[in-house]
Amino acid sequence: MQHVVVDPITRIEGHLRVEVTVDETNGTVTDAISSGTAWRGLELVLRDRDPRDAWAYIQRICGVCTTAHALASVRSIEDALGIAIPLNANYIRNIMAATLTVQDHLIHFYHLHALDWVSPVEALSADPAKTAELQVAVLNAYRVDLKVPEEVNTEAYPHDFPAATPQYFAGIKARVQAIVASGQLGIFSAHWWDHPDYKLLPPEVHLMAVAHYLEMLDKQREIITPHVVFGGKNPHPHYVVGGMPCSISLTDGNAPINTARLAIVDRAINMARDLVNNYYLPDLVAIGAIYAKAGRVDGGGLARTRVLAFGDYPLTGYKGTSSGGYFDNLLVRSNGVVENFAMGVDKAVFTPVTADDLKAPDIISEGVQHAWYEYPDNAPKDLHPWKGVTKDKYTGPKTGTPTMWETLNEAGKYSWLKTPKWKGKLCEVGPLAHYIVIYTKAAKGLLPDPTWAEQMMLKQIEVVSKVLGVSAEVWMPTMLGRTACRCLDAQLAAEINKFFFDKLIANIKTGDTTVMNNEKWTPDTWATECMGVGLYEAPRGGLSHWVCIKDGKISNYQCIVPTTWNACPRDDQAGHGAYEQAMMTTHVAIPDKPLEIAKVIRSFDPCMACATHMYNAKGEEINIFSTDHFGR
Amino acid sequence: MEKRESLWEAYLRRGFSRRSFLKGCVALTSLMGFSTDMFSKVVEAAETKPLPVVIWIHGHECTGCDESFIRSGAPLASDVVLSSIALEYDHLLSAACGAPFEAHLDETIAKYNGQYILAVEGAVATKDSGVYCMSGGHTFTHLLEKAAKGAAAIIAYGSCAAYGGIQAAKPNPTGSAGIERFVGGKPVVKVPGCPPIPEVMTGVVMHVALFGSLPPCDSDGRPKQFFGNRIHDTCYRRPFFDAGMFAETFDDAGAKAGWCLYKLGCRGPETYNSCGNLRWWQGMSYPIQSGAPCIGCSNSNFWDEDPFTTRLPQYGKLGDVDKIGAALGVLTAAGVAGHAVASIVQRNQRENLIDEDHHE
Repeated sequence: MQHVVVDPITRIEGHLRVEVTVDETNGTVTDAISSGTAWRGLELVLRDRDPRDAWAYIQRICGVCTTAHALASVRSIEDALGIAIPLNANYIRNIMAATLTVQDHLIHFYHLHALDWVSPVEALSADPAKTAELQVAVLNAYRVDLKVPEEVNTEAYPHDFPAATPQYFAGIKARVQAIVASGQLGIFSAHWWDHPDYKLLPPEVHLMAVAHYLEMLDKQREIITPHVVFGGKNPHPHYVVGGMPCSISLTDGNAPINTARLAIVDRAINMARDLVNNYYLPDLVAIGAIYAKAGRVDGGGLARTRVLAFGDYPLTGYKGTSSGGYFDNLLVRSNGVVENFAMGVDKAVFTPVTADDLKAPDIISEGVQHAWYEYPDNAPKDLHPWKGVTKDKYTGPKTGTPTMWETLNEAGKYSWLKTPKWKGKLCEVGPLAHYIVIYTKAAKGLLPDPTWAEQMMLKQIEVVSKVLGVSAEVWMPTMLGRTACRCLDAQLAAEINKFFFDKLIANIKTGDTTVMNNEKWTPDTWATECMGVGLYEAPRGGLSHWVCIKDGKISNYQCIVPTTWNACPRDDQAGHGAYEQAMMTTHVAIPDKPLEIAKVIRSFDPCMACATHMYNAKGEEINIFSTDHFGR
Repeated sequence: MEKRESLWEAYLRRGFSRRSFLKGCVALTSLMGFSTDMFSKVVEAAETKPLPVVIWIHGHECTGCDESFIRSGAPLASDVVLSSIALEYDHLLSAACGAPFEAHLDETIAKYNGQYILAVEGAVATKDSGVYCMSGGHTFTHLLEKAAKGAAAIIAYGSCAAYGGIQAAKPNPTGSAGIERFVGGKPVVKVPGCPPIPEVMTGVVMHVALFGSLPPCDSDGRPKQFFGNRIHDTCYRRPFFDAGMFAETFDDAGAKAGWCLYKLGCRGPETYNSCGNLRWWQGMSYPIQSGAPCIGCSNSNFWDEDPFTTRLPQYGKLGDVDKIGAALGVLTAAGVAGHAVASIVQRNQRENLIDEDHHE
């Protein structure tokens, strides 16, 4: 047995450490620890603040999935205060959400995950002419042409299309060669490039992927422009409780949103569709097909037994999440849990997640058995987020010192993440869960009158199953399936963008330019005490924000975020979380170079700052640093 | 010590033409706010100064600053990362992880001792010996002190590294603070903002890379070229302020017409940043242009100057909003005068401070 520590895990958001015990005789992982190693306490910062400002604070949980937390936050406050947002605001928020999903997935695949599959070193032995041929072949074989039924096609031709010339690839190869020759490898330094996994793909695939890595690094900034137009900036665009701050006017000379500004959004939406359809999806399927053929369908973990999603994209301006308005009105009705998917869809069990479930004290809860927190002696083992009590209790590692760790203590506390549960059980969330739920619901006849988006998801699964040559139950709950479903989700989100953009234009055409509902803006219109929940099917999975408001101020704020669901520490009754189970179902070829472990962890797209900020104890006022240079 | 290559050598190595090299220099000259007569100096700097090694470390943060950095339009992030600097250690983009990655950090610190640029994103968690932010089995404080020792220059990217940021807001559960007190007295270039504008981020590192010196900074360590003006001074809605034309509520007639957002809490009048002139996405927008009042995200203590949609008298450096609004409503000239006086008072206050602790 060999104990292997990987810390820090890079190409993720935030601070994550994993430890695995590997049986070096056969490469199986017998135990695994996933530990969030930083804690910022943002929910405590929110206490006693104005609920109308919550989005700005809590958005700073994460700058990678920026917008996700702002959106869930305004949704939770509006649920608590009973505010229905105008149609335009709903459409604009949906466009910002879908834009985030496309861009975030694209960055994840090319810049955070790709170097687990492809290597610039392997690209050096590629033949540029053959790479050009490969690019053509990939586009012929793997372009999946699925589109929203669109009102108007505003793009004359696909502006963003992969180059497939030997000269182009020769240029990329020459640059990589020069970098390697210089010895200054920069971001490519010190990696396990000699790992046998890099030999699975032919050199030409490596060169093509490296080229697209560079191109997408330049392009990603352009597809996020809807955030800049509607929210003023990115990361961290601006929102407002009750709607959106970006007023629309086609008759004023200086309006935030007018025809010219909408044209910028239109261009970004078209570009995102092109990048996903012409680069991301074909690249992914090309790599995936080779891995599937090599029998690399491991790393499924918890996805095989339990996944959870909340569903998203309200079709109209709705009112209330905890009262059911949100669930009645979704473009993708993936709200629910699927158990035992890997046993075949016939044996899988689907349970919906309803508004009543959100309010029930024992359906969604969090425990702290192996987390560096403690509950009061008289408290139940797991607490509903509205009742959440958290008090930090750092116990240090198993070996080493509190400030210098050797190994963490799997028998005790070992992470700053709590352990979220659904009916006392652990679940995996993410695009994979989203797709498993829709697939299972459809197979069981539980998806009446599927929306265009749901139909598209089913079609995507069908196409990929055909290309990979295995059934959905086999390829989906795996490391590869997690990465593939994220790509499908990006393609879907790119079309959802177009769908809501068309709706926005059609609504403005009717003369409606309202983006804000001011009825309950002032605190004198609020109930003395109220509670709300805001949901968002974020790029990394089901996100929920839970707020309690008292006398016009936030009295409690809790977030249960996707990475907490996935990266949580174990529970003695409920077992291991998704990261730990995924590692324990992954084969490790060389324990000293655990590339597969890093790869399977990155297949979740970890976002640690999202996961490790839980705190709502009776915190004492401590040590406020005066850093105001005017206020000395 | 082996010689490091210059930007021009890097261009040569990557097979670029002299013309594209000069084009890059033109973009940098205008990016860094220099007039065109500085062009030859930029070219000279780019030709002769060695290609700098950058170590980028993360404390208590959200990675929004990394994300902003890669959104830079000119220079493009790919050009910066692969051609202008050697980014040897960065949690977001580096291929490596775990023990070999940490060993590479130590090697880089030793090999380029006294020569590398240290970029820091995120705050320092100081409470309980720093156990609230661990990486590689060590506290971030340990990492920061280790990396700062041999750094030629230190850049604090974002309001967290500069001032403590969101986690340092009341009640500051982890005792978070800006990095300045943990770098052994070395000067820190502060690039505040939540996050900073992408081109401001790349602009600062390019300045150090090209000129081999820290950009000229104000008394707080902020580069003057990017933080020399208040947003209010360069805001395209300023004429509406001067004319007393305000949005009173979100989405009212004034909001649709793009009038001043001062009464909705806009912090533009007390916020030093380039949102009004550079703007985001190379001139595309900034929060005010999109109808959202500025929250002052580059100010040292802005998270505790809430609520953001209200202009509390103690935070409004121009005074009480209703008085100003009324004065402006009745007599624009009085408002302008009042504003001018307030500006002068504030400017004097600032200059006094600059004199007081001018430590450069």
